[in-house]
Amino acid sequence: MPVTLLVLIPLLPLIGFLINGIGFRHIPKGAVGLIGSLAALGSFAASVAVLLAFKEGGSQPMIVSLFDWIKVGELNIPFSFQVDQLSLLMLMIITGVGSLIHIYSIGYMKHDPGFGKFFSFLNLFLFFMLLLVLGSNYVIMFIGWEGVGLCSYLLIGFWNKNTDFNNAARKAFIMNRIGDLGFLLGIFTIIHAFGSVEYTEVFRQATGLPVGDHVVFAITMLLFVGAMGKSAQIPLYTWLPDAMAGPTPVSALIHAATMVTAGIYMVIRSNVLYTLAPETLEIVAVVGAVTAIFAASIGLLQNDIKKVLAYSTVSQLGYMFLGLGVMAYSASMFHVITHAFFKALLFLGAGSVIHAMSDEQDIRFMGGLRKKLPITFITFAVATWAIAGLPPFAGFFSKDEILAHAFEHNKLLWGIGVLGSALTSFYMFRLLFLTFFGSFRGTHEQEHHLHESPAAMTIPLVILALLSAVGGFIGVPEALGGTHQLAEFMSPLFDTARQVNPEAFAATALTHSEEWILMAVSVAVALIAAVIAYVMYISRSAVPAPESEARTGVENVVYHKYYIDELYDTVFVKPMKSLSGVLSSFGEFVIDLFVEGTGKLVKGLSNLGRQTQTGSIGYYVFAMVVGIVVILFWNLLLN
Amino acid sequence: MYPIILLSFLGIVVLFLGFAKSKAILLPATLLFLAVALVGNFVEWNQGTIIYFYNMLAVNNLTLAFNGIVLVSAFMIVAMTRGFQDDDEAQPAEYYAIMLFSLVGAFMMIGFENLIMLFLGLEILSVAMYVLTGSDKRNLRSNEAALKYFLMGAFATGILLFGIALLYGATGSFTLTGIQAYIGQGNPSYLLYGGLLLVLIGMLFKVSAAPFHFWTPDVYEGAPTIFTAFMATIVKTAGFAALFRLLSHSFTGIYDYWWITLAVITVLTLLVGNIIAVYQDSFKRMLAYSSISHAGYLLIALTAMTPQTENSILFYSMAYSVATICAFGVLIPLAREKAMTGKPRETYEAFNGLARNNPLLAFVLTVSMLSLAGIPLTAGFWGKFFVFGSAAERGIIWLLVVAILMSAVGIYYYFRVIMAAYMKEGDTAEIRVAPFYKIVLVTATIITLLFGIAPGLFTGLV
Repeated sequence: MPVTLLVLIPLLPLIGFLINGIGFRHIPKGAVGLIGSLAALGSFAASVAVLLAFKEGGSQPMIVSLFDWIKVGELNIPFSFQVDQLSLLMLMIITGVGSLIHIYSIGYMKHDPGFGKFFSFLNLFLFFMLLLVLGSNYVIMFIGWEGVGLCSYLLIGFWNKNTDFNNAARKAFIMNRIGDLGFLLGIFTIIHAFGSVEYTEVFRQATGLPVGDHVVFAITMLLFVGAMGKSAQIPLYTWLPDAMAGPTPVSALIHAATMVTAGIYMVIRSNVLYTLAPETLEIVAVVGAVTAIFAASIGLLQNDIKKVLAYSTVSQLGYMFLGLGVMAYSASMFHVITHAFFKALLFLGAGSVIHAMSDEQDIRFMGGLRKKLPITFITFAVATWAIAGLPPFAGFFSKDEILAHAFEHNKLLWGIGVLGSALTSFYMFRLLFLTFFGSFRGTHEQEHHLHESPAAMTIPLVILALLSAVGGFIGVPEALGGTHQLAEFMSPLFDTARQVNPEAFAATALTHSEEWILMAVSVAVALIAAVIAYVMYISRSAVPAPESEARTGVENVVYHKYYIDELYDTVFVKPMKSLSGVLSSFGEFVIDLFVEGTGKLVKGLSNLGRQTQTGSIGYYVFAMVVGIVVILFWNLLLN
Repeated sequence: MYPIILLSFLGIVVLFLGFAKSKAILLPATLLFLAVALVGNFVEWNQGTIIYFYNMLAVNNLTLAFNGIVLVSAFMIVAMTRGFQDDDEAQPAEYYAIMLFSLVGAFMMIGFENLIMLFLGLEILSVAMYVLTGSDKRNLRSNEAALKYFLMGAFATGILLFGIALLYGATGSFTLTGIQAYIGQGNPSYLLYGGLLLVLIGMLFKVSAAPFHFWTPDVYEGAPTIFTAFMATIVKTAGFAALFRLLSHSFTGIYDYWWITLAVITVLTLLVGNIIAVYQDSFKRMLAYSSISHAGYLLIALTAMTPQTENSILFYSMAYSVATICAFGVLIPLAREKAMTGKPRETYEAFNGLARNNPLLAFVLTVSMLSLAGIPLTAGFWGKFFVFGSAAERGIIWLLVVAILMSAVGIYYYFRVIMAAYMKEGDTAEIRVAPFYKIVLVTATIITLLFGIAPGLFTGLV
């Protein structure tokens, strides 16, 4: 394994960040975009090289130790990278999609005064994300985890003159902190239980534990709390829709393709522990399924193009957790990959629309854009087809694999999944129809400005559309006469888990005909939903009601996102605020008294002590002699 | 061993270079010589323990690492002298030569195997310091400081020598192994205890532990700032290396006897250093008290004397030296540019508005203050962490409690400087700093941050 090559992967974006971050006031715009994109592309090239080298060397994970990092007592945390199937797949997504989004940003952010700042943040994000997936222990993962959280914060609040955007950034940060607390406690428990944070060491020791071990249950639950925060699962999902305040490429890269999948990465990484804790998996599956359908239902009535996509992301992440919960680890990873393609594409397409619409995001004021923005339209349609789970595009294969596993595990979860997929298909086609079909509903001036985006933006769209179309063929199920290359590639990752709980990995009990029926059901459901959307928004050319119009009971609740934000506000924020008010009026008095008292005491002592420093040498020598006499007297005569 | 020979010889070369018409060659020559000595130092790296000169001097990785810290510190400090070109009265050749000679003394203290070598090294270093303290001949305070330092130092040397004599009387040997063997026989005589205490007192004076610290503030303030930096870093590192060597090689057998005395002195040092620093108005004087308080933290590691101690003292010395050099390095140009009525301005007010005038200096200053205060992500944090860790391992919890409380007090006076630099408005006098000077400061700052983020890079070395 070429170590230098491996180190270059995270190092290049870091260098890009330093150059653009320090010099963004002096470097011309053209160079800024070039440096940022080259850093991402270089990192991608290095990742590909490492992937090829790994494939030649076999399937065993390789650990590259860079240096001793923290050594405290028994605990030794090296700074080392682990290269295996999982980290390689993540590397490919992060650097590949990341590069495309960097290039896209050159066009999208062209007129923004914070161009240099934007690129340096984007590179910094790549650095931390790569650290997260490359680290060979939980502590490095945690650094990456916190680092991407910071970058997410910085980029959501990128246009920091707008108070709402700043609040959105803060919300994301605080919600993530709640999850991080769980993650951190999980790491502490791991240290306590195993005396190490190295993946290989922890999993090696874990093989000796029985299935259903209490400590492992605690660890997996705590880690899952971290994953809930980062991957926006109920109840910690409300930050993600608000995170759409950031520039659209950020939504595509951070809040769809990469960062939010960190929670899935973490669970797959810890598959040995999760396999040992079936109760946790049960919870993961339920949380995932409920999130999938809940977020999808909110998406039905949203009118902001990015908000629809945001809820769709939350919902798709729910599917991935559903897959993890039913132990379809590689199927979830499959969905991470395909989702990265089509969701990045959807966001970038939305960005292209917003760019053309002079920053209008409300689909009620769009319509008929397919003629003015042909490339954007075609690519967006491909992505819609893919996310709706219609064959032969990428989403069909990955989603169906998850649903098949869910069916095997629990019919109810499967039912929820299928219903969610119908909703997904409906709201996505609704979005597509309202945006690109019918007649234009915006202002005259907007119509005048409509234009297709520059090549820097459309080329990434086309590449992602191709990937969304054919990406699913890396995992064609046997029932369709293919071979599941991805599952085979990832298989060595689960060797240890298979060893500790062989039953859980038993071969599928579904016959091929059953699998066909399942596929047919989900495709049919998605198609019906698409047709309903067609009838509603094209045949009848319905347009969602304006803000002012009264809505009926259920519709109103869904339109207002089930009032979850308001609920959190009443249950958590307001009591916290009043408690803080009480403490600040009463507590501050007491604490101030104490703190200032201590300060005064120290200062008084200091004043006294200062007077011993008289400047007179006779006095100094005298003090020394007294010291010597006391020491000698005490030690030699009293002891 | 090589740096001792090299610098003794090259110091003389520097003296001769002083005859040259242009003084400009002195600074690069001295830097070159230090670099040569640094390379020479690490020739013997990883060769185990080598004994030189009939059991007089030992060389191993630990002593080489301490030598390395001393040499790098010296290199940075010399680099900041700018050749003394702005002062007509200065005699740079002599100054540089004395600095090089004093390093020879430091190396002897770090690797001594025989108490005679300890004494010799200590005196070489001290006498050099007396001279350098008084080098600003027209400045009354400099003269006063030198005299004070000399008088009290001579007194302390007498005590040390007396102690060595008693140790010889008890054990019949000057060597560390000889003393250790004597203690190993059991039932040591009173003379040994008395000798140990007096030697300890003599050494504690040099590292400015309370109640033998009184010279420190006056001398640090009076001496030209560049030599104060020299004193605060090199003398302290060498002093602690010597103390550690003495106690760990010879006196672990009677640990129960001396640790409580050392613990009491530690507490006293921590209290004096940190509390009195709070009331100071002069930055330089504050750094003097800060150096007392850091002596206190280093003493904690000595008091604990666990297997971790050697690494923690090494790391702490490195972190402290680098941060202190940065602090003085920022003070020097600032005090010169803001001089009032011909006198350099060294109060906290001199830092007002620094962040606006010179963001780089302000950043360097901030990192060094954070490191001295022991804030995470700086080397100073890990230094404190390792030191406290060794005390925790030994189970001296009450000492830890005092130390942690005192480091909280420390934050007050270190952060005052940062506040002055960033939050107060100051005059807009431009601070000019030579490029080379900047490189030194930035390097030191990077070292502080690098070892603060990855302490394993350093601890893995030795």
